[in-house]
Amino acid sequence: MPDTGRVSARRAPRSVDSRPTVAITGLGTFTGARIAERLLEQDPPPRVVGIDLRLPRRLEGRLRHHRVDLTEPTADSMVAEILEKERCETVLHAAFFTDPHPDLEYSHELEVVGSLHVMNAAAASGVRKLVVTSSAQVYGPHPDNPNFLSEDHALRPQRDSHALRDRAEVESLLRIFAQRHRAIAVTSLRPCWIVGPSYESALTRRFESARVVTLLGYDPLLQFLHESDWLDAVELALERDAPGAFNLAGDGVLPLSTLLRLAGKRALPLPHPLLYRVGHLESIARTGDPPAALLDYLRFLWVVDTRRAREELGFDPVYTTKEAWMSFVVARKLRGYR
Amino acid sequence: MSDRAGGGPLPPELLRELRASVRALRGELEQRFGIRDTGEPVPEPLDEERGDDTRAPSVGFLEGLAQRVRAQLDDVDVVKLYEAVRARVSIPGAGDISAEVDEFGLDESYLARARGWLDWLFDSWWRVRVTGIELVPDAERVLFVANSAGILPWDALMVAHAVERLHPSRRRPRPLVADWLATLPFSQSRLARMGAVRACAENAERLLLSGQWVIAFPEGQKGSLKPFRERYRLQRFARGGFVPLAARLDAAIVPVAIVGAEETYPVLFEPRALRRLLGVPVPITPTFPLLGPLGIVPLPSQWRIRFGAPIRFDAAARERSRDPLFVNRTREQVRGLIQALLEEELPRRRSIFS
Repeated sequence: MPDTGRVSARRAPRSVDSRPTVAITGLGTFTGARIAERLLEQDPPPRVVGIDLRLPRRLEGRLRHHRVDLTEPTADSMVAEILEKERCETVLHAAFFTDPHPDLEYSHELEVVGSLHVMNAAAASGVRKLVVTSSAQVYGPHPDNPNFLSEDHALRPQRDSHALRDRAEVESLLRIFAQRHRAIAVTSLRPCWIVGPSYESALTRRFESARVVTLLGYDPLLQFLHESDWLDAVELALERDAPGAFNLAGDGVLPLSTLLRLAGKRALPLPHPLLYRVGHLESIARTGDPPAALLDYLRFLWVVDTRRAREELGFDPVYTTKEAWMSFVVARKLRGYR
Repeated sequence: MSDRAGGGPLPPELLRELRASVRALRGELEQRFGIRDTGEPVPEPLDEERGDDTRAPSVGFLEGLAQRVRAQLDDVDVVKLYEAVRARVSIPGAGDISAEVDEFGLDESYLARARGWLDWLFDSWWRVRVTGIELVPDAERVLFVANSAGILPWDALMVAHAVERLHPSRRRPRPLVADWLATLPFSQSRLARMGAVRACAENAERLLLSGQWVIAFPEGQKGSLKPFRERYRLQRFARGGFVPLAARLDAAIVPVAIVGAEETYPVLFEPRALRRLLGVPVPITPTFPLLGPLGIVPLPSQWRIRFGAPIRFDAAARERSRDPLFVNRTREQVRGLIQALLEEELPRRRSIFS
C-alpha cells in the first residue's frame, strides 16, 4: 500500500468532494511540479493527487501524495487503485526524463514500461482524460523532412538515440491505447525545444556558453517554445477535451546564426565528421545516449506546424520563437551577475 | 635618390617636365587637403639649389606625410567609407543577416543585398535572354515547371530573378531545390535566405496556399546530374506531384525552358562508388574537383529562358486530380511542352557562349 501521509488524513473529511481531481505522475519534473503549483493556484483549485517517488519540498503539504515506483512490475494496479480511490478524472503523465539518461535500462523501464502502467491503470479506473508530455523530437531531424512537420508525419527518431526511440515507442503505444479506449480522451503534447528563465535541459546548457559549437556549413531553422507557453498548453490540454497529438512551438523560425547573433554569442563552427566522432567517444565513456544525436538538430530541418494545436486546443503562444530565445538569453545573462 | 638614379644626368627637357608635374601635384595637394608644403620634399633631388632646404631636420619627409595623412584620416567617416565599399560589392555576406526571416527562411535584407549580384550574373555573366514572360498570367497561384540542369541551382535563382525583374506583378517565385542540397554544407542556408525551399509536396502546397508562386524542377536529381552528352534531353519526371497539386489548388502551370544552364557545369560522369562513400553525389566536371574550390565557378555560357503558355485546369480536371492515369498523362504533356520549347530555343543560339 502506498503511504498516504498526513496530508490525506487532514483532507479526508472532505472526501465527498465534487471538485475535479487531477492526478500527476512525475512531480519531480519541471512540468509536473509547475503544473501542480498552477493548478493549486486556480480559483477554485482542483484536487491534485501526486504520484511519484518523491514529493518536491515546495509542494509539501499542498497536495495528496502517493509514493509509487512506476518501474515496479505491479505499478499498474497500484496506480489504478489510487486513481479509483481518489476518483481521478484526469491524469497528467509527465514522468519522463528531460535529458537522455545514461542508464538505458532504467530509462526504458521508466519511460516505456512506466507509461504502459499508467495507461493500463487509467483504462482500469474510469479516468476520462490522459495527457502525456511527449516531445516534437520524436519526428527526428532529417534532410528529407518537409519544412513544417504535421502531427501525421511519420515518427523517425535517430537510430542511435535510445531516449528518442523510447519516446517514439510511447507515442505508438498511446495511439493503440487511444484506439482501444475511445471513452478516454488521450492527448499527447509534442513541444519543440523549451527555453525560458528557469527551464534546464541538455540543450539550454549547450546554448549557455558564450561560444556555441555549430556545424561548419550548416545553419538550420530553429523554433523555440517559452516555458510559460508550454505550461499554458498543458493546462489547456487538461481543461479541454482535445484528443490526439499536438505540436507546440512559438511563432516564427530563425536560423541558428541569427539566434546566436541576437544573443551576442559567438559560433564555433567545426566540421561535422569530427563532431560526430567526438560525440560517439563521449557516449562510450558515459554509456548513455551519444550527444551526437543532438548534432543532427543543428544540421537538418526540424520545424513543426502548430496549426492543429491552435485550432483544436486553443493554443496561442505569448512568446514568439525570438522572444522565447531572448527571454532565455537575458535570464541567463542576469544570472551571471551576482 | 638622385645619386642612385643610375646612368648619366637626365636630359634637361625631362627634368623640366618632371619639375612642372611635381609643382602641379603640390598645388593640388594644397588645394585638396590643405597641406602647407614646408618640406619642399619631392623636387629636392631634382632642384639645383639644394642649399635652401627649409624642412625641419627632425621630421623626415615620409614622417611628415604620414602625419598629414593621419590628420586627414581623422576627418574621414570610416563607417561611410565602409558603406560606400559595401554598396559596390554586392555579394551578400554575414553582415547582411537580418533578425527576421519568413517561415521558410527567406531573409529580405540578405536578398536585397544579393539582388545586385544576381543582376550582374543575369546581365553580364550569363547574359540571359528572356522570352514569353508576357504569357505568365497574373494569377493568384502560379506553378512554374522547368527543366533542371547544373549541379548548383543557379537556374532556379535566375528564373526567379527573371520573373521578378520582368513580370509586371514583380513577384518573386520561390524555387524548390533538390533534397540533396540540404545535406551539402554551405549551400542550404544561403539558398534558403535567398528564398529557395526544399522540394517536397508539403512545402509546395504550403507556399501556394500562402499566395506565393513556386518554381518546380520535376526532373529532380536525375536532371542536374545527367551526363553532358544527354543535355537538353528531359529526364523522366519524378512522381509528378505537381499535377495533382496544381489541379487541386487551381494553380496555373507555366512550362519553362532554360537553355544554357546545362553548360555551366558539364558533368562528365558521376561515379556511384563516390556517392556511396561520401553520401552525397560528386559530379566530375572539367573543372571540379580538378581546380578545387575554383571548380564551383559556373561557366559563363549564354542563357535563354523561355516561358510557355500556361496550362489551366477546369473543374472536371480538378475532379480527376486523384486519377493516376490523368495525372500521368498531364505530366507527360507538360514534359512534352518543355521539350518542344527547348527544341525551339536550342537552334537559336550560334554557340554556347553567344
